[in-house]
Amino acid sequence: MKRRNFLRDLAVGGTVLPWGARVFGGPAVAPAQTPQLAVVEGESPYLITKEAVAALGGMKRFIARGDKVIIKPNIGWDRVPEMAACTNPEVVKALVELVRDAGARSVTVIDNTTNEAKRCYVRSGILDAARAAGASVPFADESRVKRVALKGEWLKEWDILMDVLEADKIINVPIAKHHSLCRLTMGMKNWLGAIGGARNQLHQKLDQAMVDLTAFFKPALTVLDAYRILVRNGPQGGRVSDTKLVKTVVAGTDPVAVDAMGATFFEIRPQELLYLKLAQERGLGKFELEKVRVEKRKI
Amino acid sequence: MKKERSRKFRALQVLRILSQAGFFGLFLALFIGAHYTGQDYISSTVQRFFHFDPLLALVTLIAARLVYASFVFALVTVIATVVLGRVFCGWVCPLGAVHQFSSFAFKKTRFLRPPKEERVSLAWKYYILIIVLVGALLGLDLAGYLDPFSFLTRSFALSIFPGLAYALAGLKAGFYALGLISAGRSISQLLENWTLNATFIQGFAVGFLFLAAVALNAWKERFWCRYLCPTGAFLGLLSRWNVLKLRIDDGKCIKCGLCTQHCETQANPYPVEKWRSGECVYCETCAAICPTAAIGFPLKAAPEKLANVSNVDLARRKVILTALLGLAAVPFFRLTPSRKRASLKLIRPPGSLPEDKFLAKCVKCGQCMRACPTNGLQPALSEAGPEGIYTPMLVPKIGYCEYYCSLCTQVCPTGAIQKQTIEAKNKIKIGSAWVNKNRCLPYTLGKPCIVCEEHCPVSPKAIKFVEVEAKLPDGKVVVQKAPVIDLELCTGCGICENKCPVVDDPAIYVTSVGETRSEKNRLLLQVIGESGEPGK
Repeated sequence: MKRRNFLRDLAVGGTVLPWGARVFGGPAVAPAQTPQLAVVEGESPYLITKEAVAALGGMKRFIARGDKVIIKPNIGWDRVPEMAACTNPEVVKALVELVRDAGARSVTVIDNTTNEAKRCYVRSGILDAARAAGASVPFADESRVKRVALKGEWLKEWDILMDVLEADKIINVPIAKHHSLCRLTMGMKNWLGAIGGARNQLHQKLDQAMVDLTAFFKPALTVLDAYRILVRNGPQGGRVSDTKLVKTVVAGTDPVAVDAMGATFFEIRPQELLYLKLAQERGLGKFELEKVRVEKRKI
Repeated sequence: MKKERSRKFRALQVLRILSQAGFFGLFLALFIGAHYTGQDYISSTVQRFFHFDPLLALVTLIAARLVYASFVFALVTVIATVVLGRVFCGWVCPLGAVHQFSSFAFKKTRFLRPPKEERVSLAWKYYILIIVLVGALLGLDLAGYLDPFSFLTRSFALSIFPGLAYALAGLKAGFYALGLISAGRSISQLLENWTLNATFIQGFAVGFLFLAAVALNAWKERFWCRYLCPTGAFLGLLSRWNVLKLRIDDGKCIKCGLCTQHCETQANPYPVEKWRSGECVYCETCAAICPTAAIGFPLKAAPEKLANVSNVDLARRKVILTALLGLAAVPFFRLTPSRKRASLKLIRPPGSLPEDKFLAKCVKCGQCMRACPTNGLQPALSEAGPEGIYTPMLVPKIGYCEYYCSLCTQVCPTGAIQKQTIEAKNKIKIGSAWVNKNRCLPYTLGKPCIVCEEHCPVSPKAIKFVEVEAKLPDGKVVVQKAPVIDLELCTGCGICENKCPVVDDPAIYVTSVGETRSEKNRLLLQVIGESGEPGK
């Protein structure tokens, strides 16, 4: 970076940062008692999603009128919802509706899939559900990416989908699943679907890659679908017997805390997950749930 | 003498052009329809065109010694040809339409100037037909190489549409560069929505052959139909009894020779006694361009003399000699090691028949390769021997077999790939995966990876992992999770090979061994009682 640019950025940043949120974004500042995590259990994935967002103070807290919003579920696999390999379509649908009701200019649901994209979009049920709720649901175009300086510990730069980069707000909507390498894939791992490039190389240091990506993407909200979780043969399963009904959704603004809460559904203590530790050290959030304001509801 | 062209035949000519355009459109629609539309099962029968093809029906019947019910539609074509002559070639065949249109374009641009009288022998296509039929007697299916439907579908699947996809991707990049994001995005969505596969091993050769076939029209009108098409030859032999016979009104004819000069298929309308009813495709050109409306096709039920059907000098001796030559050539196709021992790279689509039966039925149309959602199905070159050129095989490095997809089995026109439900397909093994420990990251570099395990679609997974020690260059030893394969569970889908980060020569790869369809190429013997279930 040239000195002149640095000074310019410093000046601009210095003026914008302290007031930025209020001047440009305008999300109402949440009252102090608002929970950081909402954990809602219930029979309907659709209703518990809405309830979880309501418990956090409603979607208007996160989305401003006129925002261009990206909703990033996990649509990675050619699997039907009963296999719990992709985010529950009802959860996605509820979020699309909430975002639209909050006055967003556009809502786009997108994921860079692992199996053939159309099959994943169709068979996960997300294409139909999100479209019906008014979102546009394009396939990720790996040729439309931008090499971005992530400034991570390991990932210095990587190709990020332009569709995601162009958004004003991102909502991360992962599903909680078993994974052989990082043990559990939830919100932090979900960012691998928002990027392009040779993603299969990231496995060589997966935990660090997840932290570096989490540090880059700053979701307005993370909603973890734990309605039906995948407990073995992850991350795609293949049999209903690989899944377990937890009937819960976790919503929060702290991406580390959301994943930490998700780990408890697998009877795994958050401190056992390397990426949560690394993320907390990096200051991305807290995995020590006792230090997080949690509101649990059952409907 | 009043000079006036026949209105009736000019109208018929327009009708014929509309018919050709319509059938070509239908062909395109069905061709495009052969992809994942959002339904696991394709509702319309996209391969139906092939079932109207009597040559494919006959050769499949003879070569595979099997009656394939769908080919009953070929009887429609046979009956239509017997009654009306080669209207199929002139009015229906989509490849005929391509040749007719390109001939027209070459004529208009003066690349092609038809001579007053054409002397090139029309016999070649009959010789080709004889060789195809003789081969079929010995179980050799050569029909697909020059059959118009196979040729056209293959050309479109492996070169024309891939070329189109390539062009669209370029256009898309252009739109993006210009900031026309939504225009670019619609193209990217279309490429995905229609499964426009763009990578084919023989894309160049197939495309080149297609363009060459089109370019030959600059030399002779409808070159393919005149000299090469075995299906046309077969229909020509059937058109002896047809009731639409050319007639020239002597009182009107001014002997200008336009009709013979511009006859699409060298059927020689003038003089009428030299008209070759077996070559006429009823394009109506001669009757339409006749300046005095002297030509007509009145109904007449008397059969033609066989000599008149073609007038192509098909002497008995020549026919017998060709047949003998064809017979002598058949063994040459079989002198290939792939007959003796399975080829490791020849991973056939799920549901494929055992190799000898497969080769006898596959018509090399490429429809399965068109439908494959991952682009993994590719035309074989040498893997299946000379009679297997263009037959489908999975190349996992290019694309893997999508676990819940059975489209290739649904679009096969002859049943060389037997139709499978998704459930049945999931039980079929098309090959086996192997780990190359010398290249696998955990084994050789001591780095974590197991991308293959993550992608393995079966549950429980066919790729498990064990902890292995890897020695690093500095002498340190690290312990890492490394993949091992449970061949009882592996289906050979190849997604592991496809997604392996060692991209040039994947550290995990699939070979054909263990494929369900072959008794010789199986691997794990199911010995009764071995699995602890005696008597089962």
